[in-house]
Amino acid sequence: MSEKLGSLKWWLMLPAFLVFAFYFPRYLIQTLGADNPWTSYLYLYGFGFFYTGSGVLLILKTGACNLSRPLHRKWFALIVGGFFYFAIAHALWIYLAISIPYKGAL
Amino acid sequence: MDSFGIELENGSIIAIAIVAVVYIAVITAFGGYFARFNKNINDFFYSGNRFSWWLPAASMVATGIGSYSYLKYSEQGYNTGMSSTMTYLNDWFLAPFFLFGWLPIIYFARIKSVPEYFERRFNRTARYISLTIILAYMFFYIGYNLYTIGVALEGMFGVPQLYSVPILAAFLGAYVTFGGQTAVIFTDLFQGIMLYVAGGLAIFAGIYALGGFDEWWAYLPVNHRLPFVHLTDNPMFNSAGLFWGEALAGSIAFTFMNQGFLMRYLTIKSVNEGRKAAFFNVMVTLPVSAVIVGAIGWIGKSLVIKQTVTGGALAGYEFVDIQNTFHTFIIVCWATVKHNAWIFGFIVAALMAALMSTIDTLINACAAIGIYDLYKPLIKPEASDEHYLKAARWASIITTFIGLLLVIWFHAQKGSLMSIHYKGIMIIIPAIVTTIFMGAFWKRFNATAACASMILGSIVTVITVWFPDVIDPLAWFLSGPQNGIYIYFRALFGMLITAVIGFVITLLTSHRDDKDVTGLTIDTLDEAMHSYKGGEPNHEVGKKVYEMQVKKDESIQADWIEVAPSAMTTLKARDGDLLYMTDSRWWLGGLRSYHVKVKTNKALGDKDIAMSTPTFEEAYFLPGKAVTLEKII
Repeated sequence: MSEKLGSLKWWLMLPAFLVFAFYFPRYLIQTLGADNPWTSYLYLYGFGFFYTGSGVLLILKTGACNLSRPLHRKWFALIVGGFFYFAIAHALWIYLAISIPYKGAL
Repeated sequence: MDSFGIELENGSIIAIAIVAVVYIAVITAFGGYFARFNKNINDFFYSGNRFSWWLPAASMVATGIGSYSYLKYSEQGYNTGMSSTMTYLNDWFLAPFFLFGWLPIIYFARIKSVPEYFERRFNRTARYISLTIILAYMFFYIGYNLYTIGVALEGMFGVPQLYSVPILAAFLGAYVTFGGQTAVIFTDLFQGIMLYVAGGLAIFAGIYALGGFDEWWAYLPVNHRLPFVHLTDNPMFNSAGLFWGEALAGSIAFTFMNQGFLMRYLTIKSVNEGRKAAFFNVMVTLPVSAVIVGAIGWIGKSLVIKQTVTGGALAGYEFVDIQNTFHTFIIVCWATVKHNAWIFGFIVAALMAALMSTIDTLINACAAIGIYDLYKPLIKPEASDEHYLKAARWASIITTFIGLLLVIWFHAQKGSLMSIHYKGIMIIIPAIVTTIFMGAFWKRFNATAACASMILGSIVTVITVWFPDVIDPLAWFLSGPQNGIYIYFRALFGMLITAVIGFVITLLTSHRDDKDVTGLTIDTLDEAMHSYKGGEPNHEVGKKVYEMQVKKDESIQADWIEVAPSAMTTLKARDGDLLYMTDSRWWLGGLRSYHVKVKTNKALGDKDIAMSTPTFEEAYFLPGKAVTLEKII
């Protein structure tokens, strides 16, 4: 696994990220609108995916996380699972916020 | 001084003061008790690297909540709703970098402070540049915490900061000076419970006043229920800025550079346990803390709207009128506990607990830097442990005093507490966090580049305060706020500039650098582990062996133990492996424990553990108490 990742051309990731960083938020704002709560959500988790993903690639490529070790396998699963845990929890939160009626409107 | 919008009678003031003073006295005495667990400066600052994960993790609750947190986040919660949790719930992105990068690097390399890492990774110049920036960051927090509690006490009771802040600092300084890190951890554990209980009590009173959870939620405006604010609208608090400035720069600073938190991780018995503490911190502590510090603002908003809709004060409660939102926490608590001075005194004590638990960590951390980075290398390189222990206590006193002086500076600042906080932090951190990151994760990054990055990166970041327009293109590129006020994007801008400087200078000068950085970068962690153990690491996962009985044997050398082959099999250990032995009473959290190397002794019984008296004493074991064994590597 780590040998395969080692062959990744890291320098290709920078322009790919720049293209993503420029177009992704613009696409969100155009399609959903800047006021939409899902826009902030997707902005955070879209860029957050890159952030966490680059960390995951780094620890695998450098061998800092060695998946042949049982403890490392467990922690790797928790790192990936933790990202989705927060993403799902925040999505559920937004859903509840917008779906339950508000009684304060005069 | 602006009053806090509540009227306290003399009787109430006396009751609140009694609760607060008793609380402070109890904490000071409790912390002072732990002076007996400090034999040397490793004990004083790092508690001998002996604790189970849950003890430092639980104590981080109180460390992470400062005296400003209740006031600042309640205000934010009132103004923008549950999005006040954003800064607490965006730390997971950093997890791979910390759990498998920075944590094992500093642990296995036995790094005592970030500046020490800079000297070993780069050179002495880098050490002292980083030291200057880190001390600025730490002292900023000490002064800021003292100042905010002074503001709160002056607002509530009219006690001038000139008196309240030095008195509080004297109590704090006392137990940190004598008890060291162990005192900090145990008092913070106690204070964390206090914070949660008092915060929970205030939340319960608020929800009860509103008529239940459903009522609170129903009267909370939809945009206040959301976990995120508008992407760009508010220059002081927007989702785009918070991601780049807070989740990226702020989280790296808090996790990688905050000496107080690093020291907390270094008190833990192993890297694996450190990962558990970090996991617990992000998954449990931070989300719960976000609720504890912000919920009064959410309740206050719902309460004010319900009053408006129903046409006046809620039945049995006084009308809540929040003119200045910074006073939200105090006003809402005072109203919802129905002016009960004893309960309110308990909540005020929680504010003090938040102050004490954050500042004690920072004082101990600054003192550690003072000893390990200034006194020991520059003033007195060779001295006895007793001497350094005494110096460490003086360093704690000096640190407290400098923090006190900074309150004068904060007092002269203009603007809200929140803006002072973020403006300061977002200027200080970008260059140093980027340099730490590049140093840990890019082996080629060299000393010349590190020094230039820190200096030039800091200068450019500071210059943007006067020329914010230079941040416009970056904010435009990332669809961030484009209104000329770049609190968070300034941090990102500073990080990018620092990274570019570091990258270019490394490419131009890397051929000059042949420094051995083995064990100090992410790609050399196996070597670091080998060096830490002093032999080949054993990665087999064994089981703990419980209820071992100590047998004294003076022929065994210090820091070694001997056990029966059956115990070795359960542990999956080999001769020479690094083990951790601890008093079997789990709730001590490793207070009585020690790291040792192990050897097989066929003559011993299955539950026997043989060691010499010096090893027994280093572990702070008590005669007749059972011991648990665990293999580390």
